[in-house]
This record gives sequence, C-alpha cells and structure tokens, in this order.
Amino acid sequence: MKAALLWLVPFMLPLVLHNEVALTVLVFTFILGILAVSFNLIFGYTGQLSMFHAAAFGIAAYATHLSMEYLGVSFWEGMFIAVLVVTALSVGVGTICFRFRLREFYFAIVTLAFSEIARLIILNWSSFTNGSLGINLTEKPTLWVPGRGVVPIEGTRTWYYLSLVALIATVFVCSRVVHSWMGRCFAAIRLNDELAGTLGINVFRYKLISFLVGNAGAAVAGALYAFYLSYIEPNYLSIEQSLAIIAMVLLGGREPVTGPILGAFVLTALPHVIPLSAELRVFVYGSILIITILLMPRGVLGIVTQHRRVF
Amino acid sequence: VLQLVLGQLLNGIIVGTLYGIIALGVTLTFGITGIVNFALGAFMALGAYLGWYLTDGLGLAYPLAVPVAVAATALFGLAADQLLFRFTRNNLINGLIVSIGLISVVQSVLLMVWTTTPKHMHYVLPGVFNLQWFIVPKMKGVVFLLLLAVILLTYVALTRTWAGRAAYAFAQAPEAAMLMGVRTGLLQTGVVVYSTALAGLGGALYASLYSLEVSLGSSYILKGVEAAILAGIGSVMGSLVGGIALGVTEAIGSIFLPQAYRDAYGLVFLVLILLLRPAGLFGSR
Repeated sequence: MKAALLWLVPFMLPLVLHNEVALTVLVFTFILGILAVSFNLIFGYTGQLSMFHAAAFGIAAYATHLSMEYLGVSFWEGMFIAVLVVTALSVGVGTICFRFRLREFYFAIVTLAFSEIARLIILNWSSFTNGSLGINLTEKPTLWVPGRGVVPIEGTRTWYYLSLVALIATVFVCSRVVHSWMGRCFAAIRLNDELAGTLGINVFRYKLISFLVGNAGAAVAGALYAFYLSYIEPNYLSIEQSLAIIAMVLLGGREPVTGPILGAFVLTALPHVIPLSAELRVFVYGSILIITILLMPRGVLGIVTQHRRVF
Repeated sequence: VLQLVLGQLLNGIIVGTLYGIIALGVTLTFGITGIVNFALGAFMALGAYLGWYLTDGLGLAYPLAVPVAVAATALFGLAADQLLFRFTRNNLINGLIVSIGLISVVQSVLLMVWTTTPKHMHYVLPGVFNLQWFIVPKMKGVVFLLLLAVILLTYVALTRTWAGRAAYAFAQAPEAAMLMGVRTGLLQTGVVVYSTALAGLGGALYASLYSLEVSLGSSYILKGVEAAILAGIGSVMGSLVGGIALGVTEAIGSIFLPQAYRDAYGLVFLVLILLLRPAGLFGSR
C-alpha cells in the first residue's frame, strides 16, 4: 500500500517542478523505463538474455508510423497494430528459439541474429523507411478528452502524464505476472529449466509467454518514444540500444519490478547532469556495466531492498 | 562470372581466416574459462591500431611492429584478466556483460586517442602473386599463410605438448585436472592472454590490408563468435573452417544476392546450423 502511494509523487511533481529539461529527462525515463521493465521480465525473471528487445522497440516505432501513413489510422490504432506485428514476429522468433531449446548464449546469439536481420531490412528498404537518414514524424498523436474533443498530444507536460500512466500500467502488468503462478514458473525456469520441465512446467510455453509479454511492452515503448522524439532511424534497433537496455536493468536491479526504472533514470539523466562527449558517454556506459556486475550484481535497488530485509 | 566467383571465393577465404583467428580465441577462452569473451573484438581493434601507429606513426618496420603490437595487446589482456575476468569465471552471463562493457570502454578510448577518421596504413608489401587462374595481392597471401600457420601451430601445441593436453584435460574435467597437478589458475590466465594475443595478431595483420575504423572490433567479434558456433565450440581446426565457411558464404552471397544484406547471409547460415546441428559442424554431442 505504501508503495502504491509512492506513485502519487511523480503525479504531483510537475506542479512544483517547472524546469523543462528536468521534465523532458523524466519523460524519457518513463518511456525507457517501460522498455527496461518489460525486458526485465524476460532477462531478470525468466533468465533469458534476449537481444531482440531493441528490435521489438524499433520495429514497433516503424510499424506505428507506417500504419499511420499508409493505412490512415490514428496513433493509438497504429500502436495497436505495432504491438500485433511485434507479437507476431516474437511468436516466430520465440518458437524457433524455444522449440529448438536454445539456451543462454545460444539464445542470445540467435535473437541477436534476428534483430540484426531486422535492422538490415529497415536500413535497406529505403522506399518505406528512408534508410539510414530516418524519418521526421510530422503526425501528432491525439487523445480524446471529455469536454474538449480530440486534442493533439503536445508539450512536455501532456507527454509526462501520458508516459507516466503507460509506465504504471506496464509495472502493474509485470508485477501481476511476476507475482502470479506464471511468475513462479518463470523463476523455476530461470533457476533450472530442465528441472522445471521434470516438475511438469511447460517450459516452452512459459518462456514464450514471457518473451511475448516483454516484447509487447517494448513495442508500446517504441511507439511512444518515436512520437515523443518525432524521429525514427534504424539505430533504434542497434546492438548498442540492446546494451543500453541491459545496462539499465543491471544498474537498477533485477528485483523489484521497478528496479530498472532507476537504471533508466540514471542513464538518461547522466548526460544532462554531466555534459559528456559521445565517446565519453560510451566509456561511461561500459564502465557502468563492468562495475555493476563486479561490485553490485543485484543493482542499486537490489542492494537497498536487501539491506532493508536485514535490518 | 567464373573469374568473379573465384576472386570473391579467395577474398572470402582470406577474410575467413581473420574470422577464424578470432573464433579460435573465442573457442579456447570458452572451453577453459566458460565465458564468451566479446572483448576479443576490442583487443583486435587495439592490435590493429597499435600495429598501424607503430609502423606509420613511429616508423617501426612492419615485421617488427606486429610482434610489438601483439605483445602490448597481450599485456592489456593480462590486465583485463586479472582485474575483471578473474571474477566472472564460469558465469556466462556476467562474463558476457563485463566483456561487452570492456568493448565499449576500449572503443571509446581508441576514439579519443585516434579520432573517428579511418586510418590507412601505407602499402607494406605492394605487388601481386600471379597464379594461373587469379591474382592475389602479395600482402593478402602473406597474411593468409601467417594466420594459417598460427592456427596450425596452436593445434599442434594443444595436442602434442604437456600444457596443451593439460588444457584439454581441464576443459573436460576441471577437478580431475587439478588433482593431476594442473595449475588451473595459471592455465586459465594463460589461455585468456593467449586468446587476446591471437586477436591482437589478427588486428595487426588486418591493419596492413584494410582501413581501420574503431567499430571493426565489434563487427569482427560477432563474426568470430558466429564462426566458433558454426564449427561447434571447442574445436580448434573447426574455428578455422568455420571462419572460412562464413567468409565464403558472405562473399559468394553478395555476388548473387543484394550486397547490402552481406552481414545477414552469415547470420541466416548460423541460425540454420544452430537449429539443424546444435553442436555445430564439427561438434560432437
């Protein structure tokens, strides 16, 4: 209950915080938080190091835009189509990987292969995607507000509340999944998937469910991110993007469900707090990965909760 | 067309041996320490830049610059092993993430020192070998033969010397090997350092053939890992064959299919192999 009340803080925040930059950082934190929290379902809870997450994120960004442009649907319908597309692709990739029982490193490398293939297709299918130049999105997502009709979603504040609500919804879904019998199946698979199989857990099914739910979350994040930034490019699907997501999860902590949000916040805010050149930023990312793994493998929030349990 | 196919085949084989030398490092490190060392790509880039800098920057003779670059890379490898990889032994995911972090760190350092401008080394050995059917630039031929020799020597050393057999024994049964007097810590460090030296050698030789960009490390380690998996992790000669198979697939694929998807052909091949023969082409399971 206490934790639920904590969610009120970000809702109040724009009332006292008028700094545009700070709010923008928070919007990015929320959207990337959706990405990291949903990835954590696959990585942290089910123990599968998927490299397909950036692909799900990027494919959804393109799918939302393309369906708005060519099918003439609204942003929300476009996002829905994007989630469907990503889910369909994930069923394909997931079925291949899990049916053939690819584990650990092999799973990572095959998902990476699929994600690179997706990136190459987007990069080279210039008539639709404009290649490496990317696309400036001119459409604005709209929202139906009672009393005011359909209004475009513009301005940092509107995006702030929109992305916050989306993040809370993601956290809610993920924590529901994690704390259900499904979550226990995920944990069993993470700890020892052969043993889980002998206990009657359908390993294939639960790995696939985790993969689908996680990628659907990434799809939502992709659509929001693209339209908040008003720009999409093939780098959404890059390996660096995948690594950034892993870094967020590791830094924040795999448990609790909200841990990765902290990681997303630190990695988004860092370039704003300390102005870093592009090279130095990569350096800092890499160092964070190394230091977290070696010194605090449970992440920042993991350490906090661990100590709370002790005292 | 035949001429083109033969030329591409040859290019594929030469690039493939470069993949192979990285794949050998990947295979050895994985077999002995249980981690997949993505940082080998970074060490390859390091070796390449050092090789270029020693020759063109400091004016060392190239045949001298290569061993110096290799030794320097191996030293960095030793430092990385003692400071980082020692703590992630047999933890695949942690080792993977630490090595990925290291690749970012090394690449950004290279960028800060030598900027993004591609570096071209002057021609070390101009001219071509004119064989009956096709023409091979001399340097490419030399690089190919050198890498081939190193891989063969590694194979011989692993099968014929005490240390090599100790490594095999350790890969099969670490505890039994320990009881038989194998100094396991030393062996693991040795293998990690040897793998980085191989990567450094690949890089230093690469520098004489192609222009250098910092991102070469991440693309070559992917190919190296692909090649190692293609062959089946653990097989020494397999990594050579896997590398060549990958290089040839890409080279031939880009003649008949769109060039832009070059990287994808190897990946598709890899996924198929993993699904149909999970142990790789030469693995036994």
